[in-house]
Amino acid sequence: MKSLTFGIAVVAFSATAAWAEPVTLQVWALDEPTHYTETLSREFEAKNPDIKVDIKIVNFGDLVNDAVRAVATKTAPDVTMIDNPETAVFSSRDLLLDLTPYVQASKVIHHDDFYPGPLANMSWNGKIFAISRGSNTIALYYNADMFKAAGLDPDKPPKTWEELYDAAKKLTDPAKSRYGLAFSAIATEESTFQFLPFAQTAGGNFDALNAPGSIRALQFWRKLLDEKLASHDVLIWRQNDATGSFIAQNAAMSISGPWELPALQKDAKFDWRVALLPVEKEGSPRVSALGEFNYAAFKTTKHPAEAFRLFEYFVSQAGRNWNEFGMLPSVQNAVANDPKWPAAYAVFTEQMKYARARGPSPVWPLISKAIQTAIQATLTDQTDAKTALETAQKTVDKVLTK
Amino acid sequence: MKRYVFLFIAIVLAAIYLFPLYWMYVTALKSGSDIFQYPPAFWPAHPRLQLAQVFATYQVDRYVWNSFVVALGTTFITVLLGTGAAYVLANVSHPLVTVALFAILMLQVLPPSLMVTPIFVAFNQLGLLEWPRFAVVLATAAKTLPFYIVLCRATFTQIPGELRDAALVDGNSRIGAFLHIILPLARNGILVVSTLVFLQSFGEYVYSRSMIATKELQTATVGLSSFLGANSNDWVGLMTYASIYVTPILVIFVLLQRHIVSGLTAGALK
Amino acid sequence: MKILNAFRDGNGFEAVLVIAPVVYLVAFSAFPLIYNVVMSFQHVDMFSIASLNRPFVGFVNYLDVFTRPETPGVFLNTILFVVLSIVFQLSIGFALALFFQNEFPGASYLRGLFLAGWVMPALVVGAIWKWIFAGDFGVLNWVLRSLHIVSAPVFWISDPLFALYSIIIANIWLGIPFNMILLSVGLAGIPGDVYEAAALDGAGPFQRFRTITLPLMGSTLGAVIALGTIFTLQQFDLVSALTQGGPANASNVAQYWSWQLSFETYEISDGSVIATLMLTVVALVALIYVRSVQREQRL
Repeated sequence: MKSLTFGIAVVAFSATAAWAEPVTLQVWALDEPTHYTETLSREFEAKNPDIKVDIKIVNFGDLVNDAVRAVATKTAPDVTMIDNPETAVFSSRDLLLDLTPYVQASKVIHHDDFYPGPLANMSWNGKIFAISRGSNTIALYYNADMFKAAGLDPDKPPKTWEELYDAAKKLTDPAKSRYGLAFSAIATEESTFQFLPFAQTAGGNFDALNAPGSIRALQFWRKLLDEKLASHDVLIWRQNDATGSFIAQNAAMSISGPWELPALQKDAKFDWRVALLPVEKEGSPRVSALGEFNYAAFKTTKHPAEAFRLFEYFVSQAGRNWNEFGMLPSVQNAVANDPKWPAAYAVFTEQMKYARARGPSPVWPLISKAIQTAIQATLTDQTDAKTALETAQKTVDKVLTK
Repeated sequence: MKRYVFLFIAIVLAAIYLFPLYWMYVTALKSGSDIFQYPPAFWPAHPRLQLAQVFATYQVDRYVWNSFVVALGTTFITVLLGTGAAYVLANVSHPLVTVALFAILMLQVLPPSLMVTPIFVAFNQLGLLEWPRFAVVLATAAKTLPFYIVLCRATFTQIPGELRDAALVDGNSRIGAFLHIILPLARNGILVVSTLVFLQSFGEYVYSRSMIATKELQTATVGLSSFLGANSNDWVGLMTYASIYVTPILVIFVLLQRHIVSGLTAGALK
Repeated sequence: MKILNAFRDGNGFEAVLVIAPVVYLVAFSAFPLIYNVVMSFQHVDMFSIASLNRPFVGFVNYLDVFTRPETPGVFLNTILFVVLSIVFQLSIGFALALFFQNEFPGASYLRGLFLAGWVMPALVVGAIWKWIFAGDFGVLNWVLRSLHIVSAPVFWISDPLFALYSIIIANIWLGIPFNMILLSVGLAGIPGDVYEAAALDGAGPFQRFRTITLPLMGSTLGAVIALGTIFTLQQFDLVSALTQGGPANASNVAQYWSWQLSFETYEISDGSVIATLMLTVVALVALIYVRSVQREQRL
């Protein structure tokens, strides 16, 4: 009897051992200088010998199109990165794995840990479809040396639009080819990213583009260009270009995010500081933009549990986001040990509390395009802010009801 | 004396035309924010060369090799299939020939970005994506073939009819006449156009990006786009990479075209 | 019957030479073409791109494209883009080819250096021209301001008046090597004695150019213009790197717009409509070319 039991045990054991073959997860990741996915995946593999992570690098501009094509041809990977506003494009079409049950059972990932902004883009219809690996937001960089030279107090950066306008005016010096402010109004997602906080602090929103607040925001941008307080080239500048201008001391202030900090440290030869994004006037809601990527598993994955374990590992390392990967944690309970650029860290962390998601909407690219069109038409003097935004609102309404 | 005046003018013209090339090299020596400096820096204050870094991090040698393989394959298929067709289209006057020429031109009308999705779907179903570089070669050759045929055709029309007829009269078979007499006469034109095809397929981006999944087989142009990130562009790195990739090709082909085109001016038709 | 005769006369060899590439091209290029044309008549959702089975909607997509406010502007831009690019690429390329026909030391090396435009990746070319044209720190503005031709920065790329022309200039730069090298080959194919004879007859340089060079270069010129037009209609990377069709579509051209519709806002049916329309334009160009070839062969 004993030998039979033993025999069964041996068979059972070897069967389970045979089933414990390493699972390979196909993961699509962005090519990043910080190599977030590669670095953490290697660590994860070391801790979980039964899982292998096979990474394919995809270019940022092609990510969604490649994913669409992969889904259409049934060659989708297990896991992919998606930019947070585009997550809804996939989650609303039931293409992503519903992570809600996994989150509920998880000891590492908790629904309530996330800041409201990232959580909104991780979810659709009350369910969780993606996990935010980190976040970034935008704030006001300014050149303290130039402030002093212009008679402004570098310890009192502009807090409202009016103060921003006055400061920009004092800091603009055409003789030195210097503008007061640099930002991005390029015809891509980046201008929507920069514009929405201005619209939202004034009471507007992406689905309330013809609200008086949105119109005031666009008129404010128009005023900055008309009075040459910002370069006309903002229409073709990425945020990175605007900050490049700031670092080269062709602009006294610039609006951008924490990804600029390494370049600032290396190349900026002046006293640069960070301040919270100005609100419209005293008492207006404080708002900022929300950026960064989510990880999601496609519904067709054969390894949902393993994919979720990978996500859990990412979230568990959120405390390293700032120092190693140039972004903020999306979870409120993650604290960076000895953060680099402590002053900037404090400002960006504070700003995260007010970071709002773009969307979520399954037709976000169309909404964003409508906003970009309005910005470009207004800033190139083809029309006025009100008309441009009315047109944008009509487009958005049409798209949302389709 | 006149020769040296020409030389001087030629140098000035080349200097003006090559300014962007010069700017590419200069930017590779700058550091990030120098690009936005005004007045523009024609030579950086602290030139730094990131050659070794970029080379190692981005495996430039591997990628350039892959590009070379793709370009060679594409050129080979193009020349193989295109030369004969160009010859026939140049010399035979027949309504079907006209139709063929029209079809050939029309079939390369769409830019790769619009062709890639259906081609990807079809290749995937045929299992061709198991050999990604081969798949890219096949797709790219479909783009370069019409280009090659139309241009070589023009070369063939410049061969005087008498020479062609003379070749046939000498008792050569059609194939013989073609291979031993006609081809050598058109050799230089063919070489020039093949060079252009090679260079064009070396710079192929859309198909390589979509069909090649593994890093080891990736081509140089795709590696180039990895410098454009979600939030920031590493321009200095990109220009360094571009310099590594452009310089040897440019040198090789300046030397090559010199050999070919000067062969033309030496009265090759004799 | 005529066709069979042609084959029997031993022209089978020649038929094969032509049929082989045509079959290859049909296999690889025909179905993407048909695919795009078919899509322009269907309602395409981004995730139904892999199957051909989609709801047929007739000309609805075409109507949608034609009623957009940006449409006339984009088409006009495309015409300007193509015409100006070809005219200048050809004339500058031809002038350079003629110039380099002269013999002087280093001529062949210097001519080869003009290949740079063909070798440099379009992405890099676009980025560099963007910096040259930059309003605040660009080299062009620096030159103009130093020479006191302008006093304030001109925004070559972000001003709707200039944006298209900036792309055109960059495109001309890009197309010069192609034109120059091929026209050089064509020029070299003209035997020197023809010129000598004409000179003896008292013909001046312009006359010789008009009566000898141009006619003998006919087929090369035709090929270069036809291909140049088709290439220019496909030029995408430059627009993407310089202006993304902005500001406010001032520099948007059909091929870039088609990509934006298909791959940025996923309005794939509309993108296919524009692709199909461009197809008809190219068909026209191809027709003109083929007719000119026919006329040539009858001579």
